[in-house]
Amino acid sequence: MPPQDMEQRYQERLKRYTTAMRNGKPDRIPIRPFVAEFTAKYAGYTCQEVTHDYEKAFDAARKCAADFDWDAVVGNMVYVWTGLTQAMGLTYYGAPGIEIPANTGFQYIEPPSDNAHMKPDEYDALIEDPTAFLYNVWLPRVSADVAPIGEPSTYRNNLSFVKGGMAMLSYFNAFGTQAARLRSESGTVSAISGILKAPMDILADKLRGYLGLCDDLIERRDKVIAACEALAPHLAWVALSGADPDKNVPITIWMHRGCVPFISHTDFKEIYWPTLKPIIETIWSRGHQTLFYAEGDWNHHLDSFAELPDQSIVYHADQGDIFEIHDRLGAKFCISGGIPNYVLGYRSPDEVRAYCKKVIDRVAKDGGYIMDASAIVQDDAKVENMKAMTDFTREYGVY
Amino acid sequence: MDEVKDAQAGPKPGACIPWEDKLRELPEITGDKELVQRVWEDIDSLAYVYIWQVLLSF
Repeated sequence: MPPQDMEQRYQERLKRYTTAMRNGKPDRIPIRPFVAEFTAKYAGYTCQEVTHDYEKAFDAARKCAADFDWDAVVGNMVYVWTGLTQAMGLTYYGAPGIEIPANTGFQYIEPPSDNAHMKPDEYDALIEDPTAFLYNVWLPRVSADVAPIGEPSTYRNNLSFVKGGMAMLSYFNAFGTQAARLRSESGTVSAISGILKAPMDILADKLRGYLGLCDDLIERRDKVIAACEALAPHLAWVALSGADPDKNVPITIWMHRGCVPFISHTDFKEIYWPTLKPIIETIWSRGHQTLFYAEGDWNHHLDSFAELPDQSIVYHADQGDIFEIHDRLGAKFCISGGIPNYVLGYRSPDEVRAYCKKVIDRVAKDGGYIMDASAIVQDDAKVENMKAMTDFTREYGVY
Repeated sequence: MDEVKDAQAGPKPGACIPWEDKLRELPEITGDKELVQRVWEDIDSLAYVYIWQVLLSF
């Protein structure tokens, strides 16, 4: 296809995608699957190859984007590049082909609660200066190479910062090239830009651990609140630093364990939401949408999300009932996802088409819907089912 | 609409070693002070992004 025609295709897709995200009705339903290890399966790579060699991951993502003719994709949804985590000595991942089998997706290893990356008596240090805490306390605990403050420095310590920094620069710069190649080679839009996590989620994910946080919510609740408030401006800054300068595609928040039943309604209402909502509103005030990638079932909290300004978020449905989500949020926000991964992995193409029809009929009638699986697509999804989801949506999802 | 509050303690977001701290270590700047500040802050922010991205993305 001549370059000018490919650019026209890109512009058509960008308009389709952004129109839907602003809760409008485009020419047809945009297709934007968040495909991770599925790309390896399709392109003939192992999980180890796409996790450890990001050029192979980029290649697999481009191949899927071109062959399936999707409107938008993430440049690399196999988001942990284990080459970098190895270079800086991070210990909390099981890397394919090293700690786990080569054809298993990478795994996060949560430490036992009595050996968390942050101790219960360290809240004040975190609150006082979160960045210094991460460098001085957290990093030496999560890296086998970084020497703790006060202990003799080492060759491996010094190397870990140079190698980690250079590797990160190399990796992030490569996303720019990847976006340009997706645009010029298949007319595909890069779906997201920038990362956010909720203050309480990051406390549970990487600092205190989920069990540690549960203890803290009872035993040192004021400290948890103060820590979330201290983290919030930093998380907002980092999110905006990676945002799309053209303000077309959203910053993504990866929502983990801040919902019922992981925490109580009271914890959500008193801590999780009051320390996240201002971040979302700040991002919106700067002209950026946030994609709520609501992993799990967040339907207990839809009333809280409805407090946000119209169009400020795109709400991704995972295990929450997408029809209830549409009924309660559909007038304000675009919705994406809702095609269960078990259907894509273990059912027939006819069943996939039937499920897509059900979602399109009930959720997408007035626009404001983006086709995607419920959760990130891994290598258990069948190729014929991904094709069925794609082809059916392209044919049936015309407005 | 509520906006996120500024950091209550420690350096502001985007900084590890604030320019004000660095400035105290330097002799009197006889040339372009703003240039020195801008380059210091630009590079310092890379160190800031590094640790926060390790926390969030890796």
